[in-house]
Amino acid sequence: MSVRWCIGLLAALYITAPVRAQVIDSAPSRSPLVRTIALDARLAADHGVQLGDTVRVSAAPGDSLGERAVVSALLARRADPSEIARQEYRARLHLDHLQRLINYGDRVDRFAVQSAGDAERATLLDAINSSAFGFRAWPSAEIAVRTSRTFQVVRRFNSAIGVITIVASAAFLLCILLLKIDERRRDVAALRMMGISPATIVNSVVIEAGIIALLGSLAGVVFGLIVARLVNWHFQGVYRTTLAFTLVTPQTVLFACVLSVLLGTVAGWVAARRLVGQPALTLLGR
Amino acid sequence: MPVRLAMLALFRHPARTLLALLGIAVSAALLLDMVMLASGMRENFKGFLMLRGYQLRVAPKGTLPFDSDATIDSATALVAAISKLQGVTAVSPVLGAQVQTIASRDSTVTAFTLGLFPDVQGDYEMMRGADLADSSSVLANDKWLAATGHVIGDTVMLAIGYDPQLQTVVGQRQFVVRGVARFHYIAPTQPTLGMLLPVLQGMGGSERRDRASLVMVKAVSDADAEAVRTRIAGVSPRISAISLEGATEAVEQRLGYFKQLALVLGSISLAVGVLLVTTLITIGVNERAGEIAVLRAIGVAKASIVWQVVMEGVVLTGAGAITGIGIGLVTAKWLERILSDFPGLPSTFRFFVFQPRDAGVALAMLAGAGMLAGIYPAWRAASMPIAVTLRREAVA
Repeated sequence: MSVRWCIGLLAALYITAPVRAQVIDSAPSRSPLVRTIALDARLAADHGVQLGDTVRVSAAPGDSLGERAVVSALLARRADPSEIARQEYRARLHLDHLQRLINYGDRVDRFAVQSAGDAERATLLDAINSSAFGFRAWPSAEIAVRTSRTFQVVRRFNSAIGVITIVASAAFLLCILLLKIDERRRDVAALRMMGISPATIVNSVVIEAGIIALLGSLAGVVFGLIVARLVNWHFQGVYRTTLAFTLVTPQTVLFACVLSVLLGTVAGWVAARRLVGQPALTLLGR
Repeated sequence: MPVRLAMLALFRHPARTLLALLGIAVSAALLLDMVMLASGMRENFKGFLMLRGYQLRVAPKGTLPFDSDATIDSATALVAAISKLQGVTAVSPVLGAQVQTIASRDSTVTAFTLGLFPDVQGDYEMMRGADLADSSSVLANDKWLAATGHVIGDTVMLAIGYDPQLQTVVGQRQFVVRGVARFHYIAPTQPTLGMLLPVLQGMGGSERRDRASLVMVKAVSDADAEAVRTRIAGVSPRISAISLEGATEAVEQRLGYFKQLALVLGSISLAVGVLLVTTLITIGVNERAGEIAVLRAIGVAKASIVWQVVMEGVVLTGAGAITGIGIGLVTAKWLERILSDFPGLPSTFRFFVFQPRDAGVALAMLAGAGMLAGIYPAWRAASMPIAVTLRREAVA
């Protein structure tokens, strides 16, 4: 494969296959022939494997032809959403070690190629694809888009649930504020009898409703932060990952506060207009 | 009588009641959707696995069917051993592999291919044409036909892989498209083929010789399935025998996020609904303090007042819940459409399955919530001091 116009090229080879590991010795191996292996930290925790232990790895369960390997590293699970639902353990072996172990020949499942710069990428892709037979090169960004469909669906689902929740919350907020202001009918009647103009009353009620909505939404932000921590703590424990499941971002806070203040103000205005539209004596129940 | 009084009290403030009804209806809709999501996935998945009556799946040890590239070796011997077990009525081995359809040297269509035996298979149903008959027959789904432009009766060249060094395909073989099938467990967007198991094994060379990705097993009855599963597990240390319950649990674990989300959102909508109804009825009771005191003064029993206020909560929640079930069914369709875009999901799989039991659970929970919401204001109404309340109302 000719890539002469690529100034620097770094290739990494990957191969994936199910491999079984079994602890056979806790003493560190001194044999130079025994290869090293990196094991999933969850596997190590669940089965009491430690760094330096010798394990037997094989391509199939119960395979007596497996090889011994020394645990040289423990792998923490990446905070990758695509991996959280998968419970199987991961192991990393040297490429030639795994190829031999699973009788895979001189084959790999994929290459990662690093180009010298963004400008070189398209030319490099064309060069690889024109010389390739039976494989194809993809830009990482495109792979990310193609493999992120699951999360796009989850995001759309969560957004849809969010819309339903907002409709319910809006109805509740409007209702509560109507009630709150309706409770003030006698105060409003007294103000009207004292000669305070309807516009002043409406303005004061609207400001009051806005302040209540703002204070409520600030309390909601604090509650949301607590719930987000609880949700993250719960799901991180369930899936044994450091992935953040809920994030309270400044945009989310701003959206929630603006929406609730807006709804509160509208509710306050509607309720105040209803109150000042009635005769003062009616408001007093006469 | 208490129901009528409750309704009259609610219709005294129609705008307030309508807004509360809307809020409760949307909460009820969300609750119903979440109940449908939580139970629907499980029920649907069970029915989905039982499409052809195979209660058990045998996969390579520690894996779920088609969860990895791992395969079971010595499949013929394994199938023979399982067939001899007591309680087994049918055994269907299946091998899965990626197969290239050769259109020209530079143009191929990759199809997921199942190797199976048509007389015992549980993976597809015929749509058009003829079933697999000989080693040159192949079945295709509509997506493969659309991707390749082939029709029933066409002769096609298929290969199992590539040799980049020799720049040639390997395991190449000629087939005739005999029919069109719908593959139950494969996404309709995935080009798929079906052929006889020995043919696919042969195309794969030594790597796939006598191998299977999965063996499906049918027991005499559902009741015998667990006993048969235990017997199968003892046949070989290299396999996992998975029952319907085991497979459902594994999938539920994978989709646990949705179930837990459903639980959290359902609980929140219920709690918020209770709070709203409590607030609404408490304020209503405060506004009617004079009336309640008069009723008590003329001899109406405390229990009657309590019952009326509790009924107010139940009527409000009940009306909201009934409206909410209609909204919930509509929103469930909307959410189902979103989730059906999940990559690799078979067309027959459903996340939201309406069952009258689900609607009953949602209604019962809301009725309970309505009652709960009415308890505090009812207690307040019943414990008002009659004389003090009457005097305060008279002065006001």
